[in-house]
Amino acid sequence: MDEATSLRLKKLFESRLHSAMRLYLDTCARCGVCVDACHVYASIPQARYTAVGRAEVVRRVFKKYFSMEGRIAPWLGEVLPMDDATMDQVYDAAWSCTGCRRCMTYCPFGIDTQLIMSIAKALLIGADKEPKLLTMLTDMSIAKGEGVEETRESFTQAVQDLAPEIKALWPHSPDPVVTVDAPGADVLYVALAGKHSMIPAAAIMNAAGEKWTLSTFEAVNFGMFLGDSRKGQAIATRIHEEAIRLNVKEVAIVECGTAFRAMKYMTGSHPFRVVAFVELISRYLREGRIQLRRDTLPGSVTYHDPCQIGRNGGVLEEPRHVIRALTSDFVELAPNRGDNWCCGGGGGLVALGEKDFRMKSARVKADQVRASHAAVLTTACENCHTQLTDLNEHYGLGMKVEFLSKLVADALVK
Amino acid sequence: MAAHGAVEAVSAASAAAGAAAADATTAASQVVHTGFALVVDRIDYAIMVPLVYLSILALLVGVIWRLVVIFRSPPPPYSLRLYPAARRPRLAAFGETFTMPQVRRHRPVFWVFLMIYHVAFILLFLGHLDILPGVNLMPAGSRHMLGAGAVGVAVTLPVLYFLVRRLRSPVREFSTPADFLLLLLLLFLFLFGDMMSWGNSWSPHGFVMTKADFRRYFDGLARLTLADPRAVLHGSHYHFVVIHVFLAELFFVVLPFSKIMHTFLSLPVNLLRRTGGTVAERRRLHG
Repeated sequence: MDEATSLRLKKLFESRLHSAMRLYLDTCARCGVCVDACHVYASIPQARYTAVGRAEVVRRVFKKYFSMEGRIAPWLGEVLPMDDATMDQVYDAAWSCTGCRRCMTYCPFGIDTQLIMSIAKALLIGADKEPKLLTMLTDMSIAKGEGVEETRESFTQAVQDLAPEIKALWPHSPDPVVTVDAPGADVLYVALAGKHSMIPAAAIMNAAGEKWTLSTFEAVNFGMFLGDSRKGQAIATRIHEEAIRLNVKEVAIVECGTAFRAMKYMTGSHPFRVVAFVELISRYLREGRIQLRRDTLPGSVTYHDPCQIGRNGGVLEEPRHVIRALTSDFVELAPNRGDNWCCGGGGGLVALGEKDFRMKSARVKADQVRASHAAVLTTACENCHTQLTDLNEHYGLGMKVEFLSKLVADALVK
Repeated sequence: MAAHGAVEAVSAASAAAGAAAADATTAASQVVHTGFALVVDRIDYAIMVPLVYLSILALLVGVIWRLVVIFRSPPPPYSLRLYPAARRPRLAAFGETFTMPQVRRHRPVFWVFLMIYHVAFILLFLGHLDILPGVNLMPAGSRHMLGAGAVGVAVTLPVLYFLVRRLRSPVREFSTPADFLLLLLLLFLFLFGDMMSWGNSWSPHGFVMTKADFRRYFDGLARLTLADPRAVLHGSHYHFVVIHVFLAELFFVVLPFSKIMHTFLSLPVNLLRRTGGTVAERRRLHG
């Protein structure tokens, strides 16, 4: 790495040093209480896969350039210079962390390793060493958003083609079954690219008599996975502006943890409410706007709390309310809610593929799910669903893995 | 009665021996040192008087500077809150800072040592305040430090445990030389303090220097007399006191640049987990 790049990265690092980051970098006592929190370390017991092990890579670069200790006695903290060898360590740290923040529940100080890893990811982008696939997906997502006017008609037509499948779930759906960017709606639903993220949601909202419309944009925020806050903000801002233009009361985010957290907590304040779709379902049930056929599922049902919706998003009880409306045989995973093990697919790992690492590093998750003896494993996040499906197959768990919205749509009382 | 008489006799003999030693030392202090002895005298004086002021100044300036750098930085761009949310976030953060429930849950043995250590460290601080003139946490005239030697045990044993724990995997693998040196500094600082405290509390004859002697030394420091402490700290164990004070000074100077800053940062960090830390959240919490 040449000196100019090193200097540029140092400035990039400095630009990320807000008060919370400085607190996290300065406070760690390296007590090691966090080691058991990480599913990667629990599955592959190597120190580099502990929360503190990852954070130390960034912390030692911090010490080198921004601390008195690094200037006077660098050997004391075994500081790391900004060079290619260090960037390899930074990559290993950043892209073995799913950003689940489970380590925060173990740390006596509450240090947020995901936030520290945001510096690691920013440095990798600055050094042009980030995973190029994610950069490509992020740029494609932004380009798709910019060209939305050219594709609006074909998108609207493609959505109307889903009518038979939506009506199969809820025959009383209005015509058109789905409106796109329609003014006068109360709820703007933001889906993913796949129809699986639209059909059950459309059926449920139509059954509830909701005044809703579909966003022309995808909810998924590859910019946040990548750690590029500028691009992440750009992806979120277009949804924000769309919601303002349509004057909706609520933006309901599809079952995607990162999209929900990014929109609700990470991209500034909004003049509308942001809800996870499962919150909407729970409200419809509470208000009696939908009824469900109970106990139609084979065997017991368990629920995986997606980290970005549960521990990091605060949506913990609503999914349980919905599942209890579906079955009288609900079994909790142990641990659950804020303590739940990460599925091992977050932080962009599913988008990147990385199947070998994902399967090895989530052995503890497979063990946890197996111990529930449930027949159905449900969740409310796209990434988690993909990862749990892969784990189910890889470890031979013999479960049915399903989105919560799909279970609800299938059980609608017609 | 006979035993009581014997104790009194020993006590009287001890007092007489102490007085003799004091006389001898006073006489010795009047001897003009030359050569190596003079250099040692000068170093002793520097450690016992000017460096005490300088190290405390470095501690205060260092800590304030570090806090200013941290808290003048911009707030985090988004909420760092963790769920389920605490009903009273600030109270929860306060409780987590001082009782470490996360450690109790996941590492109960470590937690016991941590709690003993931190509580004892506070008592240790109070014990040293007790030596200051005009402060009497222990009964006036008591020869015991606060805790009568037990506080010394309560800080020393946990430090030994922390050291052993740090030598074991996986903690050893992400420990730095600073982590080990800091623990060794604390260990020797405490052990030299223990010698004085245990001597005075656990031996019928006491340490050569008593708590009253230390109070006279602290009195001189508090009144900025710049007098040589040798005049009030009698006996041949003076160098143990000097080493104890030197290690304490080293601790003061190192503290602002070490992880011991968690003394001041633990509460603000814990607040982030419970309140989120953004400007909007701060405003909401403050009504």
